Amino acid sequence: MIEITLEVNGKKRSLNVQPRRLLADVLRQEFNLSGVHIGCAQGACGCCTVHVDGSPRLSCLTFAAQCDNKTIRTVESVGGVYAEHPLQSAFRTEHGLQCGYCTPGFLMTLVPFVDAMVEEERMPDDEEIREAMSGNICRCTGYQGIVAAVRSAIGAGLERSAEK
Amino acid sequence: MTPSVFEYHKAESLEHAVALLDQFGDDGRPLAGGQSLVPMMNLRLARPRYLVDINGLGLGAIELDGETLKIGALVRHEQYLSDALIAAHYPAFLDGVRAIGHPTIRRNGTTGGSLSHADPTAELPLLSILYDAQIVATSVRGERKIAATDFFEGAYMTTLQSGEMIARVEIPVPPSRSTGAFVEFGERRGGFAIAAGAITLEFDDGRISRASVACSGAAQTAIRAPDLEATLIGLPVEQPESRDPVKAFTASLSPPDDHSASADYRRALIGVLLQRAISLACARAMEAS
Amino acid sequence: MTQSMDRPKHIGARILRSEDTRFLSGAARYIDDIRVPEMLHLKFVRSQIAHGRILEIDKSGLDDIGFPTQIFTGDDIGGLSIKAHQDVPEMQFSVQPLLARERVRFVGEPVAAVLADDAYLAEDAAEQVFVDYEPLPVVATMAQARDPDVPGLFENWRTNVFVERQMKGGDIAKARAEAAHIVTRTYSTQRQAGVPMEGRGVIAEFSPADRMLTVWSSTQIPHLLQTCIAEELGWPESHLRVIAPDVGGGFGVKGQVFVEEVLVAWLAVKIGRPVKWIEDRREHLTASIHARDHSHTLEAYVSADGRLLGLKADISVDVGAYSTFPFTAGGDPGMAAKVMPGPYDFQHYEATFRALATNKCPIGTYRGVGRPSAVFSQERLMDDIAKELGLDPIEFRLKNVVRQFPYKNALGFTYDPGSYAETLEKIRDLLAEDCAAAVASRSVPGKRIGVGIACFVEQTAHGTPDFTRRRVPIETGYIAAQVEMTPDGKAVVGIGLQSHGQGHETVMAQVAADALGISPSDVLVRHGDTATTPYSVGTWGSRGGALGGGAVHLAATRIADKLKAIAGHLLQADPGSIVLHDGEAYPEGNPDNAVKISKLARAALRNVDLLPEGMPPGLEAQYSLDGPGDGTYSNAVHAAVVEIDTSSGKMQLKRFVVVEDCGTILNPLIVDGQVRGGVVQGIGSAIFEHFIYDEECQPLTVTFADYLMPLAPEIPNIEVHHIETPTTRTPLGAKGLGEGGAIGPAAAIANAVADALQVDVASTPLNANAIWRLIARMREEA
Repeated sequence: MIEITLEVNGKKRSLNVQPRRLLADVLRQEFNLSGVHIGCAQGACGCCTVHVDGSPRLSCLTFAAQCDNKTIRTVESVGGVYAEHPLQSAFRTEHGLQCGYCTPGFLMTLVPFVDAMVEEERMPDDEEIREAMSGNICRCTGYQGIVAAVRSAIGAGLERSAEK
Repeated sequence: MTPSVFEYHKAESLEHAVALLDQFGDDGRPLAGGQSLVPMMNLRLARPRYLVDINGLGLGAIELDGETLKIGALVRHEQYLSDALIAAHYPAFLDGVRAIGHPTIRRNGTTGGSLSHADPTAELPLLSILYDAQIVATSVRGERKIAATDFFEGAYMTTLQSGEMIARVEIPVPPSRSTGAFVEFGERRGGFAIAAGAITLEFDDGRISRASVACSGAAQTAIRAPDLEATLIGLPVEQPESRDPVKAFTASLSPPDDHSASADYRRALIGVLLQRAISLACARAMEAS
Repeated sequence: MTQSMDRPKHIGARILRSEDTRFLSGAARYIDDIRVPEMLHLKFVRSQIAHGRILEIDKSGLDDIGFPTQIFTGDDIGGLSIKAHQDVPEMQFSVQPLLARERVRFVGEPVAAVLADDAYLAEDAAEQVFVDYEPLPVVATMAQARDPDVPGLFENWRTNVFVERQMKGGDIAKARAEAAHIVTRTYSTQRQAGVPMEGRGVIAEFSPADRMLTVWSSTQIPHLLQTCIAEELGWPESHLRVIAPDVGGGFGVKGQVFVEEVLVAWLAVKIGRPVKWIEDRREHLTASIHARDHSHTLEAYVSADGRLLGLKADISVDVGAYSTFPFTAGGDPGMAAKVMPGPYDFQHYEATFRALATNKCPIGTYRGVGRPSAVFSQERLMDDIAKELGLDPIEFRLKNVVRQFPYKNALGFTYDPGSYAETLEKIRDLLAEDCAAAVASRSVPGKRIGVGIACFVEQTAHGTPDFTRRRVPIETGYIAAQVEMTPDGKAVVGIGLQSHGQGHETVMAQVAADALGISPSDVLVRHGDTATTPYSVGTWGSRGGALGGGAVHLAATRIADKLKAIAGHLLQADPGSIVLHDGEAYPEGNPDNAVKISKLARAALRNVDLLPEGMPPGLEAQYSLDGPGDGTYSNAVHAAVVEIDTSSGKMQLKRFVVVEDCGTILNPLIVDGQVRGGVVQGIGSAIFEHFIYDEECQPLTVTFADYLMPLAPEIPNIEVHHIETPTTRTPLGAKGLGEGGAIGPAAAIANAVADALQVDVASTPLNANAIWRLIARMREEA
């Protein structure tokens, strides 16, 4: 057993974990974060994407044991219980989700991308948006609603910046 | 799909890391990005009994030391994309790294990890062979430099010895009148490649003065093409008549035949990709002139 | 639109989904999110060989493994099994025991169930169980399955043909005799997997105190699962509750009853502790169900002036080792045979169809079922005929599509009005420039552009007669809805569907809201739990909107009638004049003389003294809506524009256009999502997705590294255009649409490739290697 301290969604906690426990499983079970989903355990589908120290990481390819003193964020921290983050709102209006299983992974992958585009003050073309989500598989939507949601969220962000 | 039991050790320093790896021998593996190793562990195809976490070991720099570029084993793939030295001297590197996996894989995967995994169609192994890299392995016995062409033994097999880990990769800085290109082909962007072709070349007075050519998909590792390289020397950069030399090279290949692609297709594809790499490199050379 | 709706306001509106919040916030509860105290985790030991006799199961490795485990094998389960028989004399029956008994018949077949206190330990334990097999010869191909000298896969089998039958109408000999042209081709579509992003999973808990068995399963068919488990275990259905939680995609894959589901239920009772099984991705790819794997030989009889006179079809499907429940091994070939006539006007048809048994994972229902393969063959044939006759592919189809409705086809199915010709005309306009670019590309070296279309009908929401005709364990297709109002004037709908992405919680609320005159946000929709929803067949077969929505509409209308009667009584107006709108009831034209619907509800449930004489209290209704006997026929044209790099074989999908008609659109947001999602799966089938076995029936594509699905960069924007031809066969005029998107792409893309390279294309997948071979053929033929 390894003792680790994780800051998860803003709360610090110490716990003992077996080395082989995947971060995805520890978040799901020890932290009750059902928003972390496992789709393939191979790193190919992106469903398990979380943020470790601010940057997207596949939690099915990460051992909790290697995350001592790291900051972890899951989809539960993005927009609160009512899912009010601009990207989440955009997913609603653009129908970027159907069964929802891949959705947390897409959100965790794309929130930094949207932030980066707003920071760079530019609207990417479709090719760049699709490339940004090339590590996330969706079987339901055909991706178009998600691309539209990204566009919508970047647009909303650029507008807010312009107003400042 | 969960991994089998192992002990986890966090290396506090390079000395600590190699001491642990020496202690664990063949039962130990370094853990860097985990993007190649952990999928194998989740399938229980890889079952190391000891993992040595080397992520804390400050091996993440790309730096110039005289005439040698030194790339630390923990350089993450995406670092190459914003590195000025890479952009200035190693265009083929940029092409290749852009083709690795998908954004999250590029953020977390490492050079050391990719090279030790030795996937037959992976980009970094091919690039290391192309650039005549020296792979610097380290262990309790000290450092050992291994030429890239001697490092890859077969599919997923390297000549790393028990207790060794990659510390860095060293690549000679090419002269200023040089450039390169890497062209890959896969069923999907960012997925596993079926084949790739790459070239670096030096040019002088409008002609190719030196060439390094490598491809993947022809064998169980990436390979160089010395005969083809020789025939490229002297060709004009503006209009390199490389069709016949490339054809002669691909005719000599016996690529694998499997459910992803037939041998004939791989052979033809490698020819196309090498032609394209040569054209692209020459176009870049023209631009630079 | 039917007359009993006053003014549809929510139906047809692009209302955002009410269910989205829990999926976006991470609060959704899928099967693996459910935890029951004391539950054991189950890991299967699965067969590593494709065909063999079990000699010994060595469990001794568990003895000193260091933690508690339990193991069950085929010897422990008696005769428990899945039986999916088609009750026709031609069928040979297969029985799949819940755990293999004596013989294994495909790699991945469950052989032992190992249980431990956590999933990691269960996997450790399963690895310590070693099975010794005597290998038996493997039946790996359709040809081997049809070979009478190859021994049958089951003891009493004469051959390896599950079933072979015929369907016919008209006089095929006459059509052949009259034909000026006979065009014969063979087409095939590859085996693939369905791959919802969430795999299967089951939890079962037995409560001895009240003898209640609760089963949670990531299923599309909770009621059918309940009945199947009850029958197999001899359990009273009243004491069996099946709950489908949030389900992460199904696409028909989860519309089967699997041995794992029945076994987990049995184990919970046997062991006396809850049991949980969550499949991993490798299990899903190798051992859930596969799809397609068809080979069709078609012969078309065509008149001198290009009119189809008749069609003969010979259809084979490699259906794997067991007949799946409830649609059976005959499902795919039977459907392909039934739909092959398509949207074309001819009266002579004969199809021979067969299901072939091999040592592979069983075939089941995956989006479109036999239709994507049938339409591939049908539409490739149309292009091949047009080419042979020197006719434009669109003009040839326009010459032959049905235009007069109702239309009785050669098999006796009557098509309700559709827009076949209109969709073709629209696609012709939309593609005009691309067609010109395609022709121009033929003189440009290195690159070829091609345009291809697929025109098809889809029988949806078919009713009981269609199922009883098949004589399989799915005897009907009705959807039931229960609607009730609460004293505050809001409504609860319990529907026998199970929503796994289709937005039923929103769409059914829209339908109920329109009938009841309230807001969709005041309607709660329940689904997936057999304790709170009326008995139905679940979600499959493109019937959720048409029949589910129809049932909700009819049940809600009964309540609306009662509300109007109460309102009329209170307002002293004729109930027939009462309008329900925006939470109020008032006589038409007199909105100031209104009473709140919440007051009417309170009257019906509490202040019953306000009710008219003789009216009993209560405000609930149920309706079970069967589909029309022949179903209702939606139609579409799909068009693909491809650009092929003739040096590398790289094909880029430049454009994909859909012109579709699913009758009345209940929610355009949902409809567009279903079409686009289906199309991208169809693109996957056409280009990337191939489940491959070697000659020993060892699966080769067992992870996402090898089994490739479309990612965002490969997919263009899917342009969708709608035509609405409402049907009179369902209450809301809606036809089915859930599967349609997946039916056309293989045909459209193959036709585009054939156009680009001017060669015959006879099979999918059209991956890079396949394209390159076609390019080589193009060069040879030039």
